[in-house]
Amino acid sequence: MILLRFFKRYVVPLWHWYLAGLAFLFMTNWLAVEIPLRMAVGVDALGTDPEAVRTAAFTIGLMGLAVIAVRSLSRVLFFTPGRLVEFRLKNDIFDMLTKLQPSFYSKMKAGDIVSRVSNDMTFVRALVGFGGLQVFNVTLALALTGRMMMQLNPKLTLMTLLPIVVGLAFMQAGVFAMHRLTRLSQTQLSSLSDRILALLQGVQTVQDFCAEAAFQQRFEKENLEFMETNIRLAWVRSTILPMLGLAGSTCIYVLLVVGGPMVQRGELTVGELVAFVTFVAQLLWPLMSLGWLVSVFQRGYTSLGRIDQVLYAEPEKPEGSNPSDLPRVPPALHLKNLSFTYPGLETPALHGITATLPAGKTIGVYGRTGSGKSTLLRVLTRTWNPPAGTVFIGETDILDLDLDDWRGNTAVAPQVPFLFSDTIAANVAMGPIDPERVNVATFQAALSEDLKALPEGLNTVVGERGIMLSGGQRQRTALARALYRPANLIVLDDVLSAVDQETEQRLIDTFASIGQDGQQPTMLLVSHRMSALARTDHVLVLDQGKLVDQGSHSALINRPGPYRDAWSSQHEDPLPELPTDAALPAAEVVQ
Amino acid sequence: MNPAPNPTKDLDFQAIVSRMWPFAAPSSGLFLAALILTPVATAVSLVQPWLMKAAIEEHIEGIGGGTASQMGLDTLGKVAGAYLAAVMFGYLVRSTYSIIISIAGQRTVLRLRSHVVEHLLSRSPSFFDKRPAGALLTRATSDIEALGESLSSGVVTILLDVLTIIGVLVAMFMLEWKMTLLLLTVAPPLALIIELCRRRLRQTYNTIRTSLSTVNAYLNEQVNGMKIVQLFNHQQDSHDGFIERNTVYKEATIRSNVYDALMYAAVDGIGSICIALLLWYATDRAEVGITAGLMVAFIDYLNRLFRPLREFSGKIAIIQRAGAALQKVTGLLDTDESITSGSKTLTQVKGRVEFENVRFGYRPEPEYEVLKGVSLTVSPGEVVAIVGSTGCGKTTLTRLLSRSYEGYTGRITLDGEEIRDLTLDTVRQAVARVRQDTQLFPDTVKFNVDLGNPKLDMAHLESAAELVNADRVIASLPSGWQHELTERGGNVSVGQGQLLSFARTMAYNAPVVILDEATASVDPVTEALIQTAIERILERKTVLVIAHRLSTITAADRIVVMDAGQVVESGTHAELLAAGAHYAGLYQAGFDETTDQLARDTQGASADA
Ligand SMILES: Nc1ncnc2c1ncn2[C@@H]1O[C@H](COP(=O)(O)OP(=O)(O)OP(=O)(O)O)[C@@H](O)[C@H]1O
Ligand SMILES: Nc1ncnc2c1ncn2[C@@H]1O[C@H](COP(=O)(O)OP(=O)(O)OP(=O)(O)O)[C@@H](O)[C@H]1O
Ligand SMILES: [Mg+2]
Repeated sequence: MILLRFFKRYVVPLWHWYLAGLAFLFMTNWLAVEIPLRMAVGVDALGTDPEAVRTAAFTIGLMGLAVIAVRSLSRVLFFTPGRLVEFRLKNDIFDMLTKLQPSFYSKMKAGDIVSRVSNDMTFVRALVGFGGLQVFNVTLALALTGRMMMQLNPKLTLMTLLPIVVGLAFMQAGVFAMHRLTRLSQTQLSSLSDRILALLQGVQTVQDFCAEAAFQQRFEKENLEFMETNIRLAWVRSTILPMLGLAGSTCIYVLLVVGGPMVQRGELTVGELVAFVTFVAQLLWPLMSLGWLVSVFQRGYTSLGRIDQVLYAEPEKPEGSNPSDLPRVPPALHLKNLSFTYPGLETPALHGITATLPAGKTIGVYGRTGSGKSTLLRVLTRTWNPPAGTVFIGETDILDLDLDDWRGNTAVAPQVPFLFSDTIAANVAMGPIDPERVNVATFQAALSEDLKALPEGLNTVVGERGIMLSGGQRQRTALARALYRPANLIVLDDVLSAVDQETEQRLIDTFASIGQDGQQPTMLLVSHRMSALARTDHVLVLDQGKLVDQGSHSALINRPGPYRDAWSSQHEDPLPELPTDAALPAAEVVQ
Repeated sequence: MNPAPNPTKDLDFQAIVSRMWPFAAPSSGLFLAALILTPVATAVSLVQPWLMKAAIEEHIEGIGGGTASQMGLDTLGKVAGAYLAAVMFGYLVRSTYSIIISIAGQRTVLRLRSHVVEHLLSRSPSFFDKRPAGALLTRATSDIEALGESLSSGVVTILLDVLTIIGVLVAMFMLEWKMTLLLLTVAPPLALIIELCRRRLRQTYNTIRTSLSTVNAYLNEQVNGMKIVQLFNHQQDSHDGFIERNTVYKEATIRSNVYDALMYAAVDGIGSICIALLLWYATDRAEVGITAGLMVAFIDYLNRLFRPLREFSGKIAIIQRAGAALQKVTGLLDTDESITSGSKTLTQVKGRVEFENVRFGYRPEPEYEVLKGVSLTVSPGEVVAIVGSTGCGKTTLTRLLSRSYEGYTGRITLDGEEIRDLTLDTVRQAVARVRQDTQLFPDTVKFNVDLGNPKLDMAHLESAAELVNADRVIASLPSGWQHELTERGGNVSVGQGQLLSFARTMAYNAPVVILDEATASVDPVTEALIQTAIERILERKTVLVIAHRLSTITAADRIVVMDAGQVVESGTHAELLAAGAHYAGLYQAGFDETTDQLARDTQGASADA
């Protein structure tokens, strides 16, 4: 199944390579037979017919040259498609990776993916490159020799081939064990890769806390397990697989003890027996390499299965049916009893949220740590898809929208900024760079001052994840990226956490002023800074995934509740006296 | 980013052996055993055809009285039995050889990989600034795997090939030196071709290893940032970027195939050309004793000569590949970018920290200096807050104190000792830091807090967690302390992750504590709770707090204001406000607006009501 699909998609399109390779392979084999023949002619003519010797020498010389060309070509023609398959397969995997969503990435880690794309790929390549060549070689040899033997003496052939059947049975068992072990080994290599990546990504913490030994120890354990699997694999590979070769040699023994008496009884001529021996000897090499081929095949097959787990993973809800017929205006979002649970968990991260986010307004989101703010934003941007029938734009469920279209209309600055190891300009533009607009966006994100201090300004390469920037600079670069993008929905998750208060106020002023054609985009702003929330139009208050309160800032601080508590803890100044009727929860609150 | 260039030159066979030796040495017994088994295996495989011949000639054809019979193998059954025994023995020898060599190879690889990881763990942050994680991962996995493959594929027997070749040549010389000399004329072109291919192969294998790590680094980075790629509809560009890097790799691999095939085929073809030469030479020389018999013998020798040569050429390719991989790995091992440890230790750290005119830049150019002469003293028990606009060098200052970066001028002292003179462990055990960017590991919550330190018992961990309100977080996770976090704590909220990393620092219990925006992503209520809770603990410690939300640091003993890499002001909250300078400005920025707003809102609300 896996193989069929693979061959159809990747190997069959390269058939002309293989066909040409096969032609040259035949030529190589023809030359390999022809050269000894000429040699025999030449040697026989030595001392009798100098002319014949010279001709033989000349032809052999030419054939030698031809061998160089033909053999090179046959190898190149067989190996190149292996590389081409690798190339295309990798590209297709990457293409798939750009379509897969967090539900996939939460199951498969980066190290695992890298390992599949590089280590597993090696085995798949061997399967279609060198493996392909050998399959042809071996089948050719087996078929030709086997046929000759049957023609000579069917009875003896069957007798002699008996050990091979036994050998095949052993090999079957070996293949079974190998399959299991190869899988294990590849999985272990993947998890080893994960561990190394995790270690690399947190190495500074490891050093700060003098935890090198503990990490090394954990790594060592997996390293050792991986080695042990490989050694077990080597046991199978070196004891069970060569059994086939062993069986081949045993055939000769059978030939001698069965065929010998047959000759003595006159049922077989000596010449035929010698021919048989030659044939079996000729079979030996292909039989031995069959064992090896099985191991190549086995590894390739196992690895292919692992690669297919990425290549044929199901993107979650890839396309909506309603493409771009939505007007490009700031959307009003309606949440209807929105609940969301992360896969594998029982407690929902969002629980029955019903609210309206008015178009063109700035909506603040407040909630304590872990209350579901980021989850809410992820669901609205369809990083994680919400359940059907819970989030609407006007009458349209956002799940029915074309995903790219919806995203194209949305600008996001996530809570943890992610920068690519590229220039600041490229990170802001995420595509063709419009210098003018990049300048505007960085200015709006209050990054201009910092850029002056950087060696190459906008063209500074920021290192992996922006490691060469300060925390605040990183955050504002990600913010500039969101502001660069013309969008009708802007989603900002805690983008003020690493800026000083002066910058914070500047940024809030900017947020209030963005908008094209005088149209304010709808904006969602998560923040722990009450000073920022104070300037939004409307605030949603979340607690443990539920919407527990909402209203304007002033309304919220004037009634008891989590929001007022938060406000008071950030301000020493006395709070406004509660109006007398504030003890009642506002009517709009509890849904 | 480009993987860092490594200037190491090409490694030849000898260099490969000497670099690998330390890792292979503990298994040298195994390698030796394998080496000894090789000729045995060859001998056994030579005996088999001889026995077969004897069986046919002496017993089946019935010529009789041959060597085999003289050796006691006087019936067909006996000879056949001997043959079977030889086959079995051969199988045993070969399997043993193969197992031994695999075990030895695997162990070598194990040691090498451990060493690479150990090496990585001791590199300084500046090392990682320049090298993408995906590329380093390639070094520690794919490259080492490539090495291991070559070790197990019989490269160690290359010496035997060389010996065989020499032996056959000597035998040929003794038989007919003129003809042998003639044959040797093909040696220079053959050597030339092999050498050319070898060089090209090395080059392309180098390109392959480099481009593979580039591909992997890109892949790793894009996978990590896939959410952003998708949110910004950047998939096409991202894919194009991948194809571009993958193409470099593909082209190099295809080139390597060409050289590889050419080398193999050249050896093969030149073998035939030798035979042609022989025949040509022998044409008119029957009178000088060049007979058919001699020719046959010579041709036989030629076959024996070219078989190991062919093997040899295959192994050359493997060695080039291993060499390229090893070169990458050793290039990594040779980078000496680590923090040099001093030698002094402190028995009891009191926690007096002093910066004296510290200057530092991440780049050598003076105009990019980040810290421009910072002086600052913190006494034990004191809480000093550092404030300043973003990018002014606050985090950098704390990095120097925990010895993450080197190369500063001026002095940084801990209890009066220059920290460069102290051992790394002394400094790092004395200083605990909550990092601005939380680092979490894909492991249990417990491991993330204690980082595998067996000295921290559960009670201790729990009290540390309670102190920073992380107990609430842990309780909310399905399996509490045993909950498995995913990469970078992707399955907890950012604030929750920050609390866990805060708990880690509190559990570490060091005399000097650095809180770099430790509660920046935590809600104000929790933040206030933490502040009261840790006050008592921090009383006895030296504390450096970095915060942007000034409301959190008003209670500090002293506030130090930094601007553009310099300390511009320092004093208590009240003093600084009264001074009406930098700090006052910063503080007002945060409050004026909101207080005004508050006033307005209050009025509005009252009006509504
Ligand atoms: N690893 C690095 N390599 C090169 N330059 C760096 C590196 N880390 C920081 N910088 C630069 O050093 C300067 C100071 O950075 P630092 O992180 O100390 O600032 P900070 O005051 O902590 O800022 P923030 O409040 O944003 O965290 C910044 O301009 C930054 O670009
Ligand atoms: N990828 C995930 N898988 C499983 N659980 C998750 C995931 N992300 C978040 N959670 C859990 O869902 C809840 C809500 O998390 P969320 O990130 O939405 O909180 P938040 O309000 O944004 O918090 P913070 O203020 O810390 O950013 C938390 O309990 C968290 O542990
Ligand atoms: Mg969040």
